[in-house]
Amino acid sequence: MNKILRKVKRAWQIMGQVNRERAVGMLEFELKELENIFTLLILGGFVGMPSPPAPIAIELLPLLEREMAVMLNRSDFAQDPVGALMGILEVD
Amino acid sequence: MHSNAFFLGKGGVGKTTLSAAFGLALARSGKKVLVASLDPAHNLGDVYRTVLRDTPVPVEPNLDALEVDLAAWVDKYLEESRTEMKTTYSYAGTLNLDSFFDIMKYSPGTEEYAVLWAIEHIHCDLAAGYDVVVFDTPPTALSLRFLAMPAISNLWVAELTKLRERILDRRTSITRINPESAVAASCVDKDDDKVYGRLGSIRKRLSALQNLFSKESYVAVVLNPDHLSVSEALRIQEELGKIDIPLSGLCVNKRGVSKADWSLDKRLAGIRAFDFTFRTGGLHEREDLRTIETEALVADFLASGPKGRA
Repeated sequence: MNKILRKVKRAWQIMGQVNRERAVGMLEFELKELENIFTLLILGGFVGMPSPPAPIAIELLPLLEREMAVMLNRSDFAQDPVGALMGILEVD
Repeated sequence: MHSNAFFLGKGGVGKTTLSAAFGLALARSGKKVLVASLDPAHNLGDVYRTVLRDTPVPVEPNLDALEVDLAAWVDKYLEESRTEMKTTYSYAGTLNLDSFFDIMKYSPGTEEYAVLWAIEHIHCDLAAGYDVVVFDTPPTALSLRFLAMPAISNLWVAELTKLRERILDRRTSITRINPESAVAASCVDKDDDKVYGRLGSIRKRLSALQNLFSKESYVAVVLNPDHLSVSEALRIQEELGKIDIPLSGLCVNKRGVSKADWSLDKRLAGIRAFDFTFRTGGLHEREDLRTIETEALVADFLASGPKGRA
């Protein structure tokens, strides 16, 4: 009996976690976009985009490890942002 | 009395000579004075007949002077950033960071920032030992850029701060809903976020400099009795007006050097003007600086400032 209860409890936990993952999917997508924009704004000067004076970028650069990883990752599907969004929304 | 005086103007109008004469007159009136040259092409030491360095050198009792080494300030700042970058991105050691930072020396904005760091150093670390700091500035183009830099940079920093707040807000929401999310491992709190903290410290430093320029300084434009330097003085007034730095005085130097028609533009009429006669015999000794008529300018400076008293 206990074994069945544990399995039911575990299944309930997994369902809860799946729901939580789905609930934050859009927020995580938005967060990555914001982090990407933040990094692009700071590093944009290096590729010809309007950006803050270079010394500000240099001062922030050592602290942007995560944001730079996100930016490089985002560049992989830069050609198909709508496709990525549709994926998040589970539109086939 | 203001605690700082800036002499701005077109190249060759006599900024260094007037800064030196003004500093000397203040020092002999009993004030403890530091005269700092921010011009990369220094000749303050030549005017004082003293070999100057990047640190205060005594010229005479109550008067010290220094010539800011901008190249050394750029190198110092880039070295600090290079060390921090190497620590953070140690796995990226194969990248040629040294050559990247060598290029940064020539990046737009770096020279202006070097001037700002030098002023900040003088203001925070040296000014406490003096009643007045007199700044002899580079020619107009660089001076206007470094004076405007705190205001312009703060606009960027304000926008980046807002964006960072949104990022931290989203991270907080995600962590609350799903504590097992990968985002939970990153900083969600403003107090812990190093980027937010660094933006705050940059903003604080820039605001302090902006305040120094607009509220704690007597800004005088040096011009000659000719149309070119009057036009430049007008441009300086206009540009400084945009960043809320009021002009305190106009120093009309080299009066009598030419008989050509000349008049002060009426747009400059509201600013107190001081005349300085051209010395046909030249200035050969430090004592010759005392022959420059700085009394009215010094009196106006001593009466200036928030408290309006010396």
